Amino acid sequence: MKTKLFRKGDIAVILIILVVAAAFWLYQSRQTDKLEAVISVDGKVVEVIDLSKVDGKRTIELDTEPEIKIAVENGAVYFEEAGCDDKLCINCGKLSKKGDTAVCLPAKTVVTVSGANVDVMTY
Amino acid sequence: MIGGDCNLKKIGAVVAAIAAVALIAFIAWDSIFNCTVTKDFFAMDTVISVKVTGGKAKECTDEIEKRIQELDGILTRHKPTSEISLINKNKGGTLSDKTAEYFRLLLDVSKKSGGAFDFTLGAVSDLWSFGKSPSVPDEKELAKALSESGYENVSLSGNNLTLKSGIVDFGAAGKGIALDEIRTILEDTKAKEAIISVGGSVLIYGKNEAKVGIRDPYGNAGRSIATLNLSGSCISTSGSYERCFEENGTTYHHILNPETGFPVQNELVSVTVISQSGLLSDALSTACFVLGIEEGTKLAEEYGCEAVFITKDKTVFATNGVAAKIEITDNTYNLKTYEN
Repeated sequence: MKTKLFRKGDIAVILIILVVAAAFWLYQSRQTDKLEAVISVDGKVVEVIDLSKVDGKRTIELDTEPEIKIAVENGAVYFEEAGCDDKLCINCGKLSKKGDTAVCLPAKTVVTVSGANVDVMTY
Repeated sequence: MIGGDCNLKKIGAVVAAIAAVALIAFIAWDSIFNCTVTKDFFAMDTVISVKVTGGKAKECTDEIEKRIQELDGILTRHKPTSEISLINKNKGGTLSDKTAEYFRLLLDVSKKSGGAFDFTLGAVSDLWSFGKSPSVPDEKELAKALSESGYENVSLSGNNLTLKSGIVDFGAAGKGIALDEIRTILEDTKAKEAIISVGGSVLIYGKNEAKVGIRDPYGNAGRSIATLNLSGSCISTSGSYERCFEENGTTYHHILNPETGFPVQNELVSVTVISQSGLLSDALSTACFVLGIEEGTKLAEEYGCEAVFITKDKTVFATNGVAAKIEITDNTYNLKTYEN
């Protein structure tokens, strides 16, 4: 008598286990953090860049008022050019560690490196 | 034994099915009742970050944004129609209940701090032009502006305010006031937890503790030198690294000494105050910076608040009540507990 490799019951168990595993993976994936540069304008995320995956230099020009240019290279992100008066955003320098943040208030633009070790900063 | 195998498989299938249903139910429950909504927006000349969990989180964040934009229109002296602008223009007036309460509290802090906190320095601040094109003001102009300033020129009777001279500026308390307003919305919408930042003034709402980083005074705004594990608190920091500029080799920062009209010169680079009240945490962080460690600690104690002082030589002084909750994360800084 030939024995089947899988019976209906086996397949059902495997499927259920797969569903459980997939659901658990989905749940966990919501909570992971990476070293990513998150660029947002007026509260809306416009770009997320994995800092480790940029070869050479990449620049992002944002059509904000005033206009700004953001650069990514060597695992860091920074404001390269900004049309604002105070240039505080450029003076923040290169952001490369978790939580590093630079803001251009006139352009309503925030650049932050995600995955901070704290929940919130006081400054 | 074939029958036994079948039973085992049936039991296995049932257990797996129950586990799957339980997990899906947990995820669904978590998504519905512990739904977290985050929102960043710009108002009050700063960045505001809102993270709300539970309750009507979406409704709550929308309401917070709306309320903060309204508050901006009331408290800023740079909009001609704001309540504060009208007070400055008309040298007083009849206040709304809430604004009258803000004035009462701020007058109290001004008095108890011996004038180290003063919310009538608008004219002095304008001469420095922080945040625009800052420069050291003309000596005579500064002396004139300073002579016309002073919280003693403000008198409040019920909701009627009289301003003899000076320009009211809520810059050193506005972020804290915003936190108090936000807490009311969180309570009304039955939020479970929230982490709010109004330009670095923070509200940790709910029973769970959150890790609050204190900014590295000498590094990027996102880097911390210490963390505070806190729940149900407002945390504000005043630091000499904000809005500073250099002129003829000297660095000037934005925290003005109400006596001299010049930036405060003492051993401090930042002061963090922890309070139940946003307004108090914000106003006291400025007052304590002006007063220094010894007098600042006494003032914080008078209001039942805790404080963390960071000095130029990288010593972190924490008051008794917060010493157990602080962890130094940058080993170039040393922690000391301050006792009066």
